[in-house]
Amino acid sequence: MAIMMPAADQAVLDRRAEIVAALRAIVPGEGVIDSAAEMQVYESDGLTAYRQPPMVVVLPDTTEQVSQVLKYCFEQGIKVVPRGSGTSLSGGALPLVDGVLLGLGKFKRIREIDFDNRVVVTEPGVTNLAISQAVAHAGFYYAPDPSSQIACSIGGNVAENSGGVHCLKYGMTTNNVLGCEIVLMSGEILRIGGKAAENSGYDLMGIITGSEGLLGVITEITVRILQKPETARALMVGFAEVEAAGECVARIIGAGIIPGGMEMMDKPAIHAAEAFVHAGYPLDVEALLIIELDGPVIEVDELITRVEAIAKGCGSVTLQISTSEAERNLFWAGRKAAFPAVGRISPDYLCMDGTIPRGALPKALARIRDLSEKYQLGVANVFHAGDGNLHPLILYDANKPGEIERAEAFGADILRACVEFGGVLTGEHGVGIEKRDLMPEMFTEIDLNQQQRLKCAFDAQGLLNPGKVFPTLHRCAELGRMHVHGGKLAFPDIPRF
Amino acid sequence: MDTLKVRDAKDVEEVVRAAIASEQPLEIIGHGSRRAIGHPMATNAVLDVSALNAVSSYEPNELIITVQAGAPLADVQSLIDSKNQQFAFEPMDTSSLLGASGNGTIGGMIGAGLAGPRRIRAGGARDHLLGAHAVSGFGDSFKTGGRVVKNVTGYDLCKLLTGSWGTLAVMTEVTLKVMPKPESERTLVLSGLDDVAANRAMTAALGSPYDVSGAAHLPYQAFRPATGALAGIAAQGLAVTLLRLEGIAASVADRAASLAKTLAPFGAVGTLQDAASASVWSAIRDVEPFAAGGSLGAWPVWRIVCPPASGGVLGQVLARETGGDVIYDWGGGLIWAAMPPKPDAQAALVRARVEAAGGHAALIRASEQVRRDVDVFHPQASGLAALSERVRHSFDPRIILNRGRMLRGSAT
Repeated sequence: MAIMMPAADQAVLDRRAEIVAALRAIVPGEGVIDSAAEMQVYESDGLTAYRQPPMVVVLPDTTEQVSQVLKYCFEQGIKVVPRGSGTSLSGGALPLVDGVLLGLGKFKRIREIDFDNRVVVTEPGVTNLAISQAVAHAGFYYAPDPSSQIACSIGGNVAENSGGVHCLKYGMTTNNVLGCEIVLMSGEILRIGGKAAENSGYDLMGIITGSEGLLGVITEITVRILQKPETARALMVGFAEVEAAGECVARIIGAGIIPGGMEMMDKPAIHAAEAFVHAGYPLDVEALLIIELDGPVIEVDELITRVEAIAKGCGSVTLQISTSEAERNLFWAGRKAAFPAVGRISPDYLCMDGTIPRGALPKALARIRDLSEKYQLGVANVFHAGDGNLHPLILYDANKPGEIERAEAFGADILRACVEFGGVLTGEHGVGIEKRDLMPEMFTEIDLNQQQRLKCAFDAQGLLNPGKVFPTLHRCAELGRMHVHGGKLAFPDIPRF
Repeated sequence: MDTLKVRDAKDVEEVVRAAIASEQPLEIIGHGSRRAIGHPMATNAVLDVSALNAVSSYEPNELIITVQAGAPLADVQSLIDSKNQQFAFEPMDTSSLLGASGNGTIGGMIGAGLAGPRRIRAGGARDHLLGAHAVSGFGDSFKTGGRVVKNVTGYDLCKLLTGSWGTLAVMTEVTLKVMPKPESERTLVLSGLDDVAANRAMTAALGSPYDVSGAAHLPYQAFRPATGALAGIAAQGLAVTLLRLEGIAASVADRAASLAKTLAPFGAVGTLQDAASASVWSAIRDVEPFAAGGSLGAWPVWRIVCPPASGGVLGQVLARETGGDVIYDWGGGLIWAAMPPKPDAQAALVRARVEAAGGHAALIRASEQVRRDVDVFHPQASGLAALSERVRHSFDPRIILNRGRMLRGSAT
């Protein structure tokens, strides 16, 4: 493991038996797991290159139990790592050797469906897809749709501010959650927001969303639901050059069209996907765009015509328009299976997640090609083209000495390039441990100190999910120290009137 | 009182650092157009950011604009309008409600975070702020977010800055999402519904697949003094319920026909087209019925946010028990309530009813004396209030910025 995690607290490890007993007193029966064999499934999340068995696993099933577990750990100075379904791609749920792994998997109940207020109140362990399924009979759905939606939990979605292919039009998790019940590290239970469109006071829901399990443990969530669009149709457009595909994306947006989804794949990704699912993708193009328009039939038909004209104007070499739901799903099949498809052509791959301004796409792909040469590793690119979110898949073989290190260095260089081109380190997968040490590429120490001070407002002892997101841990007292500058008493020489 | 007109972010740092050293809290202003919102502050000097007024970059194809915080909102809106784009959350123009001149700056727009009718579809100001540079109460410049729409790198401090009324940090530059303006709009009008029936009609419309982008109800009492855009629809002497559809013309026409069928049980459906529709929604966005210059100009005004389907009942109770008038936006989820002046602006009554409905109420317009005596922002439960205070402290431990504006009694 290349990444340094916080030093283990030997005093805590020495008291393991006592800690397990104390947790059993709070969560009886099978809710506490301490055997090495049973804990194995918790030793990593979706970022499988990193593994660490926890000290003990606890699976509470009431908010009160969560509160008591956290209160106990708070009082005893024991670290806690929260976990939903364990699908994080950034290592957000990687356990700590001296930490309690707090799994929310038993929070599986949808508490309330309120069609009049267009919200669902749910426990965090419910899967993303299950929410949409629970309201589908009335024509509703929950909009954010990360590709792991069949497995990922809504609690994890809130922690990571998950996106998906439709977030250009419908927003990420943060734009679709209204409130939560959260337990702070101290065990204190708070309710934030609810069924109203906005919270009062500071927007704490906004800061909790995407905080990667460092601020509190969510035990209930209120999400917005939407009526399903009447129809959706897709275009599949091939280009001989990546630049032309990029131009097409820019012109569609420039024409005031916000597609429901707009995805791009490069040649290696097209080939891998086609070999896997036989979706009929053109194999002689350099870039393939899948553009989905959704809404009323009459609107979708009109927009399809407009997008078709734009694509042709950008020199598309192949262009197909779905005429049935089956055909639309076929267009998507390859894109949706892109990760496993790449898994077939390479023993291992690393999925990156930077975002760049859309206009920087050709530059970014050229850089990735150069880096691929430099590191002598293959790469396939899938790309949420509408919002500039790149997912280069770096191909490597973990059994070959040095390849994982080379792949990681390659990935880090891609993310540095994203920042260089005016973008960011992560669009939807989170920082976790994966991008933690790259944070200084994007943020100054002052920027990071401000974020960590906010963490202190929720968890002053730094016990909740330490070692994630921030490359350097600081004590809260140190971060809060005010340096009074120069002892100046008067305002400086600034124009006044 | 000193007014310090800063020229750049460095100046802001220097002023805040000097304010820390000399223990002189600062009032942060752009144009000062929303100064009358919040508690009277205990500040010794004014930090004026209006000279930070440049547009740093505008990239229509990226759907983003980066501007300095003191840039006039009206200028920025006409700039993006020239590319047929807009801030989709329809920032409210508070000038008519407050009797202030002008609609202030971009920084004020974010600091206040007051979104208009399209919030139900496009989200609020919080959903459109992508990145910010700001100076904290430590006197340090920091940045958060970025210049792309999809970003989860680090905590999303943009959410906290939005609606924080300048109590966390002095924003110096922000990046905002812009969206294409709809090609056409049409408003369906129902007449004569009482508030509860209107709430049901709006709920039916918002639960339909027709992509309603505005849902408001004006009881007749509330807009009888109306002039301007609302005078036309007031003329019939009936309450009106308004449902807006936007998009390409063919789609709007198609959805309007479908929605009219959905609304048939609520009565005959009239139509307002394009410009007529747009001016009515501006008037609702800006709460014209309660304009400072109008007949209810002396009444205090509450802004109540609640679960939308409970709005009709809540508003009716509030109007009856306070002797006031209400109008509804966001399908019932936003109630503006004006009521005859009382020393406490009827805060206890309003808050008891609003809390019972699962909402919260802010006293947006009231005399300075009332704003000293009454909690302007909705009081929070003790645990949440303590957390909010720790959050504020993490940005501004010495309470240098807009001291006392959000929390009554914290001014000293």
